Amino acid sequence: MPAIETHDLEREFEGSVKAVDGVDLAVQAGEIYGFLGPNGAGKTTTVRILTTLLQPTGGRAIVAGHDVATDPGSVRRAIGVALQEAALDPLMTGRELLDLQATLHGIPSSKRTALSIDLLERVGLTEAADRQVGTYSGGMRRRIDLASALVHAPEVLFLDEPTTGLDPVSRQAIWNEVERLNDEGTTVFLTTQYLEEADQLADRVGIISSGKIVAEGTPAELKSQVGSPHLEIAVEGGTEAAVSAEEALGEFGKILPPKDGRLQVEIAGGAGDISPVVRALDERGIAVASLELVRPTLDDVFVDKTGEHLEGSTTDPEPE
Amino acid sequence: MSASSISASLPVIRSLVGRSMNELFRVPGAAIPGVLAPTIFFLGLTAVFGNLALLPGFEADKYQSFIIPVSLMQGAAFTGAATGVNLARDIEQGWFDRLLASPAPRPVILAGLVYSASLRALIPGSVVICVGLAIGVRWPGFLGLLVATVMIMGLAATAATWGATLAFKFKTQSAAPLMQAGTLLAVLTTTAYAPLPLLTGWLKVVATYNPLTQVLEAVRQGFVGDVSWADTWPGLVALIGIWVFFTFLALRGMRKMTA
Amino acid sequence: MSGFRANLRVVGQLGRRSIRQTFRRPQLAAPLVVFPTILLAIQTAGAGRAVDLPQFPEVNGFLDFMLAGAMMQACMLAGNTGAIALALDIEMGFDDRLLAAPVSRYSLLLGRLMGTAVMGLLIAAWFIVIGLIFGVEFQSGILGVAWIFGCVATTAVAFGAIAASIALRTGKASVVQGLFPLIFVVLFLSTAFFPDNLMLQPAASIAKYNPLSFVVDGMREPIISGFSGSHTLRALVSMAGLLLIGFTLSTFALKSRLKRG
Ligand SMILES: Nc1ncnc2c1ncn2[C@@H]1O[C@H](COP(=O)(O)OP(=O)(O)O)[C@@H](O)[C@H]1O
Ligand SMILES: [Mg+2]
Repeated sequence: MPAIETHDLEREFEGSVKAVDGVDLAVQAGEIYGFLGPNGAGKTTTVRILTTLLQPTGGRAIVAGHDVATDPGSVRRAIGVALQEAALDPLMTGRELLDLQATLHGIPSSKRTALSIDLLERVGLTEAADRQVGTYSGGMRRRIDLASALVHAPEVLFLDEPTTGLDPVSRQAIWNEVERLNDEGTTVFLTTQYLEEADQLADRVGIISSGKIVAEGTPAELKSQVGSPHLEIAVEGGTEAAVSAEEALGEFGKILPPKDGRLQVEIAGGAGDISPVVRALDERGIAVASLELVRPTLDDVFVDKTGEHLEGSTTDPEPE
Repeated sequence: MSASSISASLPVIRSLVGRSMNELFRVPGAAIPGVLAPTIFFLGLTAVFGNLALLPGFEADKYQSFIIPVSLMQGAAFTGAATGVNLARDIEQGWFDRLLASPAPRPVILAGLVYSASLRALIPGSVVICVGLAIGVRWPGFLGLLVATVMIMGLAATAATWGATLAFKFKTQSAAPLMQAGTLLAVLTTTAYAPLPLLTGWLKVVATYNPLTQVLEAVRQGFVGDVSWADTWPGLVALIGIWVFFTFLALRGMRKMTA
Repeated sequence: MSGFRANLRVVGQLGRRSIRQTFRRPQLAAPLVVFPTILLAIQTAGAGRAVDLPQFPEVNGFLDFMLAGAMMQACMLAGNTGAIALALDIEMGFDDRLLAAPVSRYSLLLGRLMGTAVMGLLIAAWFIVIGLIFGVEFQSGILGVAWIFGCVATTAVAFGAIAASIALRTGKASVVQGLFPLIFVVLFLSTAFFPDNLMLQPAASIAKYNPLSFVVDGMREPIISGFSGSHTLRALVSMAGLLLIGFTLSTFALKSRLKRG
């Protein structure tokens, strides 16, 4: 049974804005599912429906085996949630937040203290545990928020843009934690605007645009739909050298039409194929002016499906 | 509710009350406005309208004894409204989603808010009583004080359910003046300034039917005379009635939040 | 002279901005009018029998007496609200942009105060209309009403300037907001709500010499009995004094803020 299943899920807001427009999802237990899309695509609305914070106006959603509309209580017991704008009380300490969250989930006081200590350690906030959250950095806030979503060891964890606006180090820390949780068996539903995040972290990615899923699959499958990894090579010398180079490259894979005077060849083995190619050219006495391994990205997939680029798909997020 | 579900709810209520107390004790000076406003009004109204007690038909010999219940109720109502304002802020900033996404029963979440208002109301209440006794307010007796305390805690809880109803409806702190003006109006359109026969015009009519008049008279009895059950139960009934009404509306509002 | 004209234009624009701001943030503007109106309505009906007290001044009704106090209360709140907005501007760095512009530094302050003056006029209009609807007889007629408009606008500016000096010194909206209780202390210690001869001690003695009482009495007189030279003069002198204090304090506060950079 899938951990998250939706059929034709819809949410319409006043003014007939369809923020979610017929979404079908089947997230398997133990998966990390990446929900990738630009600002305003409908990611948060979907997460709010799946976490019982918003009712769907059409379709059905089953989370951890329970219908979000008819049995929200059971859904709430089974899920952990870290929403987009880490909603934290600046006056509470990290430890108090975890204690409150544990209380909300009915965890008896005898277990709460040890639980907080474990979770704080897990997200690396042991030292800051008794400081008010108002003094935390952006990365620390996300980590305490993540920890607070874990107090009851949820089956399914929802993370809405967990790393937006974070610096690369903090982002990596969140990624590591998500991977660790997933290794321990937690199903993770994560939204992001960063293709790199979806690519690295997610087992499967759904690309959402204007409330609709426009593509779905493993990152590799999606990228292979829009092309395969290839080398772009510029060689020194005239046409003769180019012809000879093309011959040599033909042994490695399909030759693509040249681009801006550079030769293009598909390579199946990715980076591993680079040195044999260089060696083969060298043997023919051809000097390489430049060589670049080009792989299709999820942005290419997005462009292919929607004709637009993903916003915020740059590698470096804006500093806070 | 079964005994086990009640015992499961208590820690949640305690946690929510604890968080609400942080606002008072961790923000320097945060408790001051809630205390200062009713105290200033108490002293000011006494100084300004003190000689109204000379009018024939006034039950109290001193105006400060007559007006102190108004300031006690004002402090409680202000505290309740402030709870609503804080809730609106929590909704606006997304904190409330944390509670909504948790399996804690909705009435328990509301109870946490409401009960914290009751407790917080004791702070302005104690200050006003001390200031009052210092300027010669009649000692209400322990029974009178007990009745007043119960009423004040109840009023704060009731005002908190009113504030919560508006917070769930508007989901923004901009609704604060509405929450405050509403409670102020409700408390003052009673026999606040003078006994019913001495009120004039529209206020006489409104005060006759405003259920908070009964609450006020119940708080007032010890300060101006003897405490009796006959002067107490109408206030209790009125408070419970309003409280039930707004609790119903607040719970409905909270359910609509996730609709 | 063109520099002067340019400055005047800036003051005008900033004034319009501050008025717009007040109306766009109803949570700031509403209490200005709503609270004094609620208090006026309730105190008038609740303490209305006060007119039966011996020694109460000769009035047509208690509302006639209370109107001036309500206007005073509202314009003090307006002055304070303007200063809160100024402090918010400072918190958000808007004033830096203004101070960097090639206009007189005072336009920042004057623009804000112009907005407060307009608020004062609106407040006066509101309460005069309420008075007319509920049967207040303005004994001095049109002239009295004109005088009231002038008094309310002037007092609003004076208190606006005093509160602005605190906004400029601290740059914190929360501090200016904290002045609200003080406003009520000053009001209760004046003749805004009751004649001083009937108030309790020690408030009665303070009210007797509180310059605010002089202004309120000066505003009240044309409503309840008609102008008398002495009260009017005392009100004029008090308002001039309050204005002088306000402008001195806020000018110094502005200078020290500029020095701090
Ligand atoms: N409460 C709401 N009322 C009206 N429109 C909304 C509401 N919430 C979201 N929307 C609209 O729905 C669309 C999707 O929003 P959202 O789910 O927040 O996108 P994302 O999280 O992908 O950035 C946007 O056009 C947004 O303006
Ligand atoms: Mg979003």
